Amino acid sequence: MAALATPVLAADPSPTITVGTQEIGLSAGYLLPQRLTKHHTTKQEGPALMPSWMMTLTDPVGDGWYRGQVSLGAEVVYIQFQKPVLTHGIGFTPKIKYTFVALDRLRPYVEFAGGPFWSDLTDKVPEESSQFDFVLTAGFGVSWFVTDQTALNAGYRFHHISNAGTSYPNIGLNSSLPFGGFSYYF
Amino acid sequence: MPLHFLRWTLLGLIGLATTTTVGCTRWIDVIPSSTSQQESVAWTIPKAERVSFVMDTFRVLQNGAPQNPSSEMERRILNTVQETRLFSTLVPLGGTGASLGEKVVTARITVEETIDPHSGTAAWKGFVIGASMFLLSPVLALDYDYAAQVSLELERWDGQVKRYETRSAGTVHYQVFGATPIMISELKGQVTEAWLTDLMDQLVRDTGFYLASSTPLPDSPSLTVTVTARKPLRSPASLSVLPVSASPVR
Repeated sequence: MAALATPVLAADPSPTITVGTQEIGLSAGYLLPQRLTKHHTTKQEGPALMPSWMMTLTDPVGDGWYRGQVSLGAEVVYIQFQKPVLTHGIGFTPKIKYTFVALDRLRPYVEFAGGPFWSDLTDKVPEESSQFDFVLTAGFGVSWFVTDQTALNAGYRFHHISNAGTSYPNIGLNSSLPFGGFSYYF
Repeated sequence: MPLHFLRWTLLGLIGLATTTTVGCTRWIDVIPSSTSQQESVAWTIPKAERVSFVMDTFRVLQNGAPQNPSSEMERRILNTVQETRLFSTLVPLGGTGASLGEKVVTARITVEETIDPHSGTAAWKGFVIGASMFLLSPVLALDYDYAAQVSLELERWDGQVKRYETRSAGTVHYQVFGATPIMISELKGQVTEAWLTDLMDQLVRDTGFYLASSTPLPDSPSLTVTVTARKPLRSPASLSVLPVSASPVR
């Protein structure tokens, strides 16, 4: 009968996110206006809620500080515009994220998302003329893995809402969105 | 709410349901090793003819980089060896073989794993799939390759050595919604099963070599062992057994 010993293995200091690892998350933030030109006059602002799902596409690639992995997913963004008038907006955006993994539990990332967005604000402001628009976001953040499967996130996004020229005017609404949230990996 | 928005929402939901359903598939292709097609053989041997099997060295390399071998893989190898019933007792790495008698077979195993997750292609396809609102997820499959080159060196009590080699490889093809870490485990498990099966087939063909009566003990049971520092690895292909040599003293 075989007597099997268990070798001592070194403890893994960082969470292991491999191909196929999924992430569900919830982030919340506050939208602040960014009036980039003199044509932008609306001071839209309000809280935003963003549940998301992501799937890790690659094992860590590269060497050095930029070593990281790509994940793909989708996010629902809900914004309650409290100014200039109480209105609502909701969108669905596919999302791609590159997470830097060189710092073990502290993992900065950059992300990009875009998709359809509906709001009853955007036909009430001079920058936009239709309720059906698109939202594009680009941002960065940092995840702190409190456990191997749970991370706290904080970051910043730049939001752009416009209708892709489907109606005019179409100047667009630009916003800053600092946010915080958490993710669960499985 | 405008009618066209409802229409697009409905179309979007139908598209999402379709892509998440069709895009959830995955399958694994395992390339069998070249020798696994041979007919398996069976021997009947007396229990007294069986000797002990001692795991002496177990090395794992991943894309050329040495790794900490997992106890799970060692256990799986030993379990498979035990299933052959060729040996009486199996001693894992670090175990003591003091009470096993003088006739033992020591094993040195090197597993060279090659992993290719096709990261660049996966990232690019992921971008395209995301840009298409996941509509292309059923048609853009992603791949993950895993291969293992295994060498097993068995040294008999009289110093004679037999070396066995095998290789198996596999690819998991998956759609983006079918991805899960389990599929990687499944792939590695199937590839490992393929090379273990082939290795044991080769081993069993040499049953006569490992029988206790196959050769007597050397005249002098005293052995000398020369231990030298490990040389740096130049390439996975240049890897060999640990630089330990044993020879009878006259």
